[in-house]
Amino acid sequence: MNSLRIAWVAIQELLHEKVSYLLIGFALFSLAMSMVFGQMTYGEQAKLTLDFMLGATQLSMLLFSIFMGISLFQKELSMGSISMILSKPISRASFLLGKYLGQICMQFLITWMMGLMTCLFCLRFGSGSFSAAAVFQTVTLIAWEAAIITAVTYAFAVNSGAVVTSLGAASIFFIGHGRDTVSSNLKETSDLIVWNSAKTVLPDLEIFNMKALASYSQSIEWNEFFLASCYGTVCVAFYLSLAVLFFSRRDIAT
Amino acid sequence: MSTKVIDISINEVTKEFATGIFKKKMAVDKLTLDIPRGQIVGLLGANGSGKSTTIKMILGFLKPTHGQIFVCNQPAGTRQSRSLIGYLPENPRFQKFLRGEYILNYYGRLYGLGGKQLTQQTDHMLDLVGLKHARDERVGGYSKGMTQRLAIAQALMNKPKLLIFDEPMSGLDPLGRMEIRDLIRAIHDGMPETTIFFSTHILSDVEALCSSVALLKKGVLKTACEINQLMVQDGQFFSIVVTGLNQTLENKYRAEHGAATTSLGLSFNVESVDMLTARLSEISRAGGTIVSVNTQRRGLEEILFSDRKNVNFQFPQQAAGGA
Repeated sequence: MNSLRIAWVAIQELLHEKVSYLLIGFALFSLAMSMVFGQMTYGEQAKLTLDFMLGATQLSMLLFSIFMGISLFQKELSMGSISMILSKPISRASFLLGKYLGQICMQFLITWMMGLMTCLFCLRFGSGSFSAAAVFQTVTLIAWEAAIITAVTYAFAVNSGAVVTSLGAASIFFIGHGRDTVSSNLKETSDLIVWNSAKTVLPDLEIFNMKALASYSQSIEWNEFFLASCYGTVCVAFYLSLAVLFFSRRDIAT
Repeated sequence: MSTKVIDISINEVTKEFATGIFKKKMAVDKLTLDIPRGQIVGLLGANGSGKSTTIKMILGFLKPTHGQIFVCNQPAGTRQSRSLIGYLPENPRFQKFLRGEYILNYYGRLYGLGGKQLTQQTDHMLDLVGLKHARDERVGGYSKGMTQRLAIAQALMNKPKLLIFDEPMSGLDPLGRMEIRDLIRAIHDGMPETTIFFSTHILSDVEALCSSVALLKKGVLKTACEINQLMVQDGQFFSIVVTGLNQTLENKYRAEHGAATTSLGLSFNVESVDMLTARLSEISRAGGTIVSVNTQRRGLEEILFSDRKNVNFQFPQQAAGGA
């Protein structure tokens, strides 16, 4: 229950945060630019516009998850208000979970809103081959990916400053999408052993990437979608557990 | 044998902070301190003396490098121990968009309060700290004094057995400080069983509020005793003014007591009653006239920092020929 109370305050905090509106503004701007660039292309305009819009959604959610994660957590530390909360009989895990829940609620909401705008645009300007189910699946998986990156951000933020946290979380995002590329470029056995060990703790974010399919109006099977969501849950649980572990051990000197 | 109930028991606690790969800084060194129930205890020390570190260890924010701390017989930092504590941090800050009443409800719920009990306690606290009129205002519009009072109210929401205030008067103007002092007194009067433990570097606050004091210096406990005891032991001295003394006796008093000539006569101080008696009879025998004998009390500052080295602050010399 304490986590839910903290989550509710975190949502209000996000609603009052200037950076939130900056990021939402960026999301809207990138959606608008996607429409413009999509229309400027030759042939397959609807598909490219849809692809751009989904790409814009993914990029916006990546930025939102990293920057709002840092802001929500580190602001509390720098303000010192964390000490008033943690002096109450609540665990550090509840605090962290509450902040996380608040943030991902907002992220899912924003992602779905962006998905809705994409659908509305496709209905108005697109060709008849547009699939609302595919767009829904794609944006929901983008939200799951953002949820994992948020958990990664928290795992870094509890121990590091803003720069290290943002670089760390962005690196995990890019490695998570480039696992196959890295694997195919490694020749040495020793490198492969190290990489395969590292892969066990690095999320495979390509599982959540179905933008290309959606732009061709193809959805995935719902059981596949469900499995991807389960994988997302496991990744979130893993990185949040790491965050809780680090946070429980650290000294809070503010 | 003492029958006092101990609310905070600090046993041989040391805290070191890593300041580099191989460097460590000792913030608190083998601190042993017992805080009895129902008292107002001041933790006194200069900046960097380890006051806040000690408080954060009591709350479990920092883990001691060595030693143990118990709060009402519970290990410090556990949820059980924190449920008994109300805490006011130094420079408390709230989310600016939240309203005063909402904040108290929020913190009250974190203590596990709910329903009618929460509503009543919120009303009571707003009344106690004098913020009823501002209950629906956003805290972003509160003055520093109001924020401080709200922070005290949130610390009282669970009717704590132990109140810990970290520099409660810091950054306030004289009026604000007086208000907080009065509030602490009112809390003590209304909740006499609650122990109030606060850190400060303002001696007048300790003198005005505390029954006991602990002095930390560079992480080491220098003194821990009741203020009255401290005043009787070290704070009392006698001031004598005398005339008509012979030169031998006058020179003796100048040498031994630092006697100085004033408009009333030769004035000097003695520390104990025994010494006072001895000097008075000596003066009578020598035919001197005792103009006055006064009992004096030293300020807490003078007692606690009597071993302080003098620091001479000097402006840098101007270069020769400079403007």
